Amino acid sequence: MGSTMNLTSSRIEFSRRTLFAGAAGSLAASSISNEVFAKPVKPKKKQLLLLFLSGGASQFETWDPKPGTKTGGPFRAISTSIPGVKISELLPQTSKIMHRLTVVRSVNSNIPDHFLGHYALQSGRSVPGYPVLGSAVAKLLEQPDDLLPGYISIRRDGPKAYTDVGDAAFLGAKYEGVRIVNNQSPENLIAPLSVKPEITNLVDRVRMATDQRFKMGRNSNPIASYGTTYNQADALMKRREIFDISKESQSDHERYGKHDFGQNCLLAKRLLQSGVTCVKVTHFDWDAHQDNFYWHQIRCAEFDRTLVTLLDDLSEKGMLENTLVVITGEMGRTPQINNLGGRDHWGRAWSMVMAGCGVKPGIVYGSTNELGTEVKENPVKLGDLFHTYLRALGIDSSLDYNIDGQTNPIADPAAKPIDLLLA
Amino acid sequence: MTCRNSYLLSSYMFIIVIVFNLSPCQATEPNIPLHIQIDNLVSKRQSALKISPAKISSHEEFVRRVYLDLNGVIPTAKQARLFLDNKSPDKRQKLIDELFANPEYALSMARVFDVMLTERRIAGGGNLYDVPPTVWKSYLASSFANNKPWDQMVREILGTDGSEKNILGASKFYNVRDVSPHLLTRDIGRLFLGCDLQCAQCHDDPHVKDYRQADYYGIYAFVQRLKIHPLSPKGSLVAEGASGKTTFTSVFTAKSGETFPLLPGRNMIPDPTIEKDKEYKIKPGPKEAGIPTYSRRFKLAELLPQPATKGFSRNIANRLWALMMEKGIVHPLDLHHDGNPPSYPELLDTLEKWMVDHNYDIKEFLREIALSKTYQRSSVTFENQKEIPAGTYCVAPIRGLTAEQLRWSVLQATGRIEQYYLKIESQKKSSGESSNLPYWNTKLIQNEVLEKQTASFITAFAGLPGQPEMGFNPIVDQALYLRNNSKFLQLLKDEPGLVLSRLSETQDVNLLSEELYLSLLSRRPNKDEIEDVIKMLANAKVPAIRLETLQALMWGLLLSAEFRLNH
Repeated sequence: MGSTMNLTSSRIEFSRRTLFAGAAGSLAASSISNEVFAKPVKPKKKQLLLLFLSGGASQFETWDPKPGTKTGGPFRAISTSIPGVKISELLPQTSKIMHRLTVVRSVNSNIPDHFLGHYALQSGRSVPGYPVLGSAVAKLLEQPDDLLPGYISIRRDGPKAYTDVGDAAFLGAKYEGVRIVNNQSPENLIAPLSVKPEITNLVDRVRMATDQRFKMGRNSNPIASYGTTYNQADALMKRREIFDISKESQSDHERYGKHDFGQNCLLAKRLLQSGVTCVKVTHFDWDAHQDNFYWHQIRCAEFDRTLVTLLDDLSEKGMLENTLVVITGEMGRTPQINNLGGRDHWGRAWSMVMAGCGVKPGIVYGSTNELGTEVKENPVKLGDLFHTYLRALGIDSSLDYNIDGQTNPIADPAAKPIDLLLA
Repeated sequence: MTCRNSYLLSSYMFIIVIVFNLSPCQATEPNIPLHIQIDNLVSKRQSALKISPAKISSHEEFVRRVYLDLNGVIPTAKQARLFLDNKSPDKRQKLIDELFANPEYALSMARVFDVMLTERRIAGGGNLYDVPPTVWKSYLASSFANNKPWDQMVREILGTDGSEKNILGASKFYNVRDVSPHLLTRDIGRLFLGCDLQCAQCHDDPHVKDYRQADYYGIYAFVQRLKIHPLSPKGSLVAEGASGKTTFTSVFTAKSGETFPLLPGRNMIPDPTIEKDKEYKIKPGPKEAGIPTYSRRFKLAELLPQPATKGFSRNIANRLWALMMEKGIVHPLDLHHDGNPPSYPELLDTLEKWMVDHNYDIKEFLREIALSKTYQRSSVTFENQKEIPAGTYCVAPIRGLTAEQLRWSVLQATGRIEQYYLKIESQKKSSGESSNLPYWNTKLIQNEVLEKQTASFITAFAGLPGQPEMGFNPIVDQALYLRNNSKFLQLLKDEPGLVLSRLSETQDVNLLSEELYLSLLSRRPNKDEIEDVIKMLANAKVPAIRLETLQALMWGLLLSAEFRLNH
């Protein structure tokens, strides 16, 4: 008799967590109905999309062209939707939506190195040991009823280890980016076929009854937080189709592009729409030490069309105003064109772009000199950018983390946000 | 990590500090065993605060806890039963001594110190220039099997270039950090002295008055001339140059300085003057790491592991305390400074002094803690837990099993360790082979098979590389792993010689329930639990269904908080 009581009471306990049960229920519903995807799930919640141009895109062939100079390369500059502002002709679609973008042409990160740059541009610091943007924002914007992972990092498979540098650091494994490689769902989301549902129920019954007894007279925090992870696992399993881009329409697949970057961005959109706080997409192969101009034609063609499709979609769904889009790489490329027709690593004067939540659209901030060899106006440090991202998302970047009694400034105290860029 | 400053001290803690500063300072009594000194200090504080401690742990709580802490794994059903049914009044002490004598003590300490000293870092070149894990683990295990004093271990770890045959593997601390001077500086400070000087790399720490840029560069000067020398595919050495000044500039004040090697609390060590062209005993070359005539690193290895170096003795006392008691008396473990005082200064002083007086005897230190009532408290109390102040040791902490403890405990609970070693035994009998290796060393090698089976556990449960192990922070990926991962579910399969097959052969439900609970939770089931088992098996008459049900019972208990936590 006692055992029946216990088993029942642990069940009651489970359903009494109304917050959770409710959330899980609505998740289950959303996994059935595709219509839910037509509307943003949580319109108020702020989100982050980082498009990382790995290898280092050339600012000359993108945001800061210098046509007709000895450093400018062969391409023309074209007019954009911001009067008087020109960008490279390799971004024709983007030129038409420039009024939605916030361009910084005066980044001086001074780190001409892939490993260090990947970390520094994402963490806003050159000193190691800090969380990257996605992990930081996942932590800082976390809400108690969040079920989905806070940070998901999407990329195609590739051998280059430096693309994975940077992580949650002292924030802990919970904020580490869930890696999606080649658009494969994360591991362990599907129960093995060999396990029957009755067995799963039995396992849960035993687990919960044991926890219920174990809790008596003991510190219940670790016991409850452990139990919660199983509820989260259930919810995530029910919602696993948020990772499945085959559910997106054929025309969307075409619009985003069938290449890796297009498909990755399509997944990114799906995840953002499902309520994931931070998504990063890595676009590879910008490291053009040889044949820079040929490479940038290919890279830019992919990037240009996909970016515009993505921003259009986010804007149309009313998501852009709550989603900060950050477009950067780990560095820019040298003004000098080497004898293989390439541009090399360069951190002294290059460009990055933002759009959406919290930033002023249609602005070009800072400039470089005539040959693009130095910053001319409004130099921007990488720490300043990190502060600016956080502020754009409504986070006070002067605060500290306080984790396990350790405090840590969330952004480099020696840097500050760029107010002119903030909406 | 980073600029981490002080705790927010509760006003409450100030009161304690005052109370104990006012009371006459009791000198540590050399004749009183440490465990009694610990208990006296702890009960003094508890009575000052008028809080009563929880009861002494039940034998069931104790046996599981002490196996996990000293051998890194839960007991088998047989071991638990043997202890629980033993009527002898000194059975706890006997068990403690037995656990220290087991080869598992050295092996589990090797796992703990591997994680503590490498923090699961992956060297820049992957395995290319790193010390292979088995070589490093066997250095550690041999050190703990021989109860090598901590100062000697540190001297070896900091002094070796990787070539000494008798301590092969000790250079892991350098290699896994790519012999990178800034990383080494920071981790020498954190792991051997308990001070995270990270912020002081660029400027005096604005939060922590005690951490100055000059301190950072004092340590940096010892390792600044080091680099990796990838000699051959067989392994790389730590090479040291004969020259290089150490200068630094504050990013805030632009003030700059120059320093020679300097350890906290000690004098600066100027380089001796050396004649030109005599800088090297052995000149470095493409195939030769070289040896300088004067080595700053040898000075570091010689001088750091000494009581005179501020933080050295205190750091190890505090870290070993945390191993047994969940948190350090100074916590976080690498933030010893004035703004983050110990939660019980007199207790930490006592532990530190004992360490110095007993030549850094790690085993004896842990043994004393295990013998204390403070360690042997129950984790059950009916006091309001939220009102129990930290650092009063009223109730045993509830800790998460480490990834390593979890892996070995799942192997133990399913019977896979016993099964594997029985198989080895019978093979040995039939072949008549015997080995000259020490028992721990044989086991270290044999364990690799079981470790391979459970490698996915470490991926799922380990913390992030380069980060200290944190408290219990369960995440959803781990729950998904324990529900769905095929490698994990493989361990629950029925095979001859495993706990599951033993259960399925047992018809008496009382005996079956007892075996089940002793195997997984190191205790006998209560009446309710036996009834649950009866009820579940009542619907499972078909052998296949019965097996599935038993499997579900085991699986459910493996997923319970009682299994996942050390309590």
